Amino acid sequence: MIILFVVLPLIVAGVLPLIGKISRRVLPDLLANATLLFLLVYAAVAGRALIAGGAVLQDLPWLGEDVNISLALDGFSLFMLVAISLVGLAASLFSIDYMEHYGAKANFYALYLVMIAGMNGLVLASDLFGVYIFLEVAAVASYALVAFGLGHDELEAAFKYLMLSVAASAFIVAAIAVIFGMTGRLDFAGVAAALKELNAGPVLGVASAFFLLGFGLKAALVPFHAWLPDAHPSAPAPISAVLSGLLIKVSGVYALTRIFLNVFGLTPALSAVLMWLGVISMVVAAFLALGQKDMKRMLAYSSISQVGYIVLGIGIGTPLGIAGGLFHLFNHALAKGLLFLTSGSVQQATGTRDLDEMGGLAKRMPVTAATNLIGALSIAGVPPLNGFWSKLIIIVALVQAGHPVFAVIAVLASVLTLWYYLLMQRKAFFGQLNEKWAAVKEAPFWMTAATVLLALLCVGIGILFASTVSTWIQPAADVLADGVHAVTGSWGF
Amino acid sequence: MVLFSVLAIALKDLLQSAVALAVSSLLLGIIFFRMDAPYAGAFEISVVAGLITVLFILTIALVHKGDEVRESRLANWVFPLVFVAFIVIDALVMKGLLGKVPALASGAETGTFGEVLWKGRTLDLVGQIAVILAGVFSVLALFRKGDKHE
Repeated sequence: MIILFVVLPLIVAGVLPLIGKISRRVLPDLLANATLLFLLVYAAVAGRALIAGGAVLQDLPWLGEDVNISLALDGFSLFMLVAISLVGLAASLFSIDYMEHYGAKANFYALYLVMIAGMNGLVLASDLFGVYIFLEVAAVASYALVAFGLGHDELEAAFKYLMLSVAASAFIVAAIAVIFGMTGRLDFAGVAAALKELNAGPVLGVASAFFLLGFGLKAALVPFHAWLPDAHPSAPAPISAVLSGLLIKVSGVYALTRIFLNVFGLTPALSAVLMWLGVISMVVAAFLALGQKDMKRMLAYSSISQVGYIVLGIGIGTPLGIAGGLFHLFNHALAKGLLFLTSGSVQQATGTRDLDEMGGLAKRMPVTAATNLIGALSIAGVPPLNGFWSKLIIIVALVQAGHPVFAVIAVLASVLTLWYYLLMQRKAFFGQLNEKWAAVKEAPFWMTAATVLLALLCVGIGILFASTVSTWIQPAADVLADGVHAVTGSWGF
Repeated sequence: MVLFSVLAIALKDLLQSAVALAVSSLLLGIIFFRMDAPYAGAFEISVVAGLITVLFILTIALVHKGDEVRESRLANWVFPLVFVAFIVIDALVMKGLLGKVPALASGAETGTFGEVLWKGRTLDLVGQIAVILAGVFSVLALFRKGDKHE
């Protein structure tokens, strides 16, 4: 029952506002977290058994009628489902305490679950229009979640995010229309097979450019990144964690990768464009992050830079490069989720996001400081944490594929990353304790528990990286490395 | 249609802007009819030109006067420039390109509207229910009262 990933969160979201009338806190907390825990266990335990015999293409009947609810699960989508459920659960646990002062908790969880359903639907969709619809589901929910605090900054950021996101959607729909006009098909397998038959070079180029603009905006690659440094810091911390950790990757990187690698087929030109976009994002955003004084804004720029690594890895197009890119996607989702959650703990304790005002907080918030340090070192690529291995794989893949200059740039950008994260550590957590924060206390239980969970995963995956790669990453990378054949061969044709 | 779309953006009066948008989508509906897409045409006219315009006008009637926001002058310059550039590129590129677009022969239309909607694209309906849920919860969340952040 793959459809549970979409329908279950939607059903729970539908009843949550009603349950919120009976119980304002306990029941919504319990129900939302139980739903996400169930999805995580289902994906992690049952998922691999489901795809053991190859990709699953499920067509569901409805009331005995044969309707066309067609969903596809393969190694790549299962990998994304696990990432979504894991980071989604951590952010939701964090929300138990964190969202207390915002009010309207049941409503918050309802929107949150709709966003999760949207992301799951996008990952499971087996046709281009399905991708677009679920992209919008997740996006509409995320606009409201960014504005959830209802302050001036939140509303302004949400509006800016909405406007750029609409432009992205317009490009994506235009590209889908071009493809549909040529092939008369929307399903991945059908489009891939039809494009093989047609000699549609220039028009396919136009569609690719539209997709690149649309998904590039969604993934916030430089130069399409203007909305992200406003939208992500303004949202409540668990939402920032999910937006930066998951949403830009699902609606940007996943969709882009699925369409370019499995439907269009990665041409050398496309590969070069992706790699250049990746490198530019990686370097430009790292420099921009260096100059930030707002803690969450620094993290937001860091997300753009790390998405650059992911796109660079996948853009190489070799099996090793793709595996490295996907592994970094997973590691960044965990570590950036962790960093945004700890920044939320700090913001709630001190009331500020300005790094210059902080100082010495490690003395008052030791667990938050320690988990933040683990997240920062992981993203910067310090061994033996998980981020080190994924960056190493990307760099080795770059050298193997004959791009030593890009490999050197990736190493240098990693040094920059370490630099701004050490700056953050020094300004926020180490040094003299600012007298203003003498009365600050460690974050409440669930907030700390969520960050500890993610920090343990960062360390655990770093130590057990070989088995993580072989269990989760490799099957996903195989699907992408298989190219167009993955959908035409095992999904139908 | 293009003219009225431009008017919908350029007009300062919200009511006139909403009416221009309605006329624009009415004309789009007629184009749909002319291109043998009667269902799309009927939906465009009834929902977009009709229902949504009514909602816009109701909302405008409910908004207090004096809430106008001063717009940046930049918008007055940028939009016409982008629009003219778009028309020029469109005229130069698309005409040549459209003739060259290869396409597979489209299959015969299969099934009635109901069959296509309920059987052919059922997953889209699930997605649309989710979009509506997201919209409703957004309104509930953004217009909530009685909380600290009011």
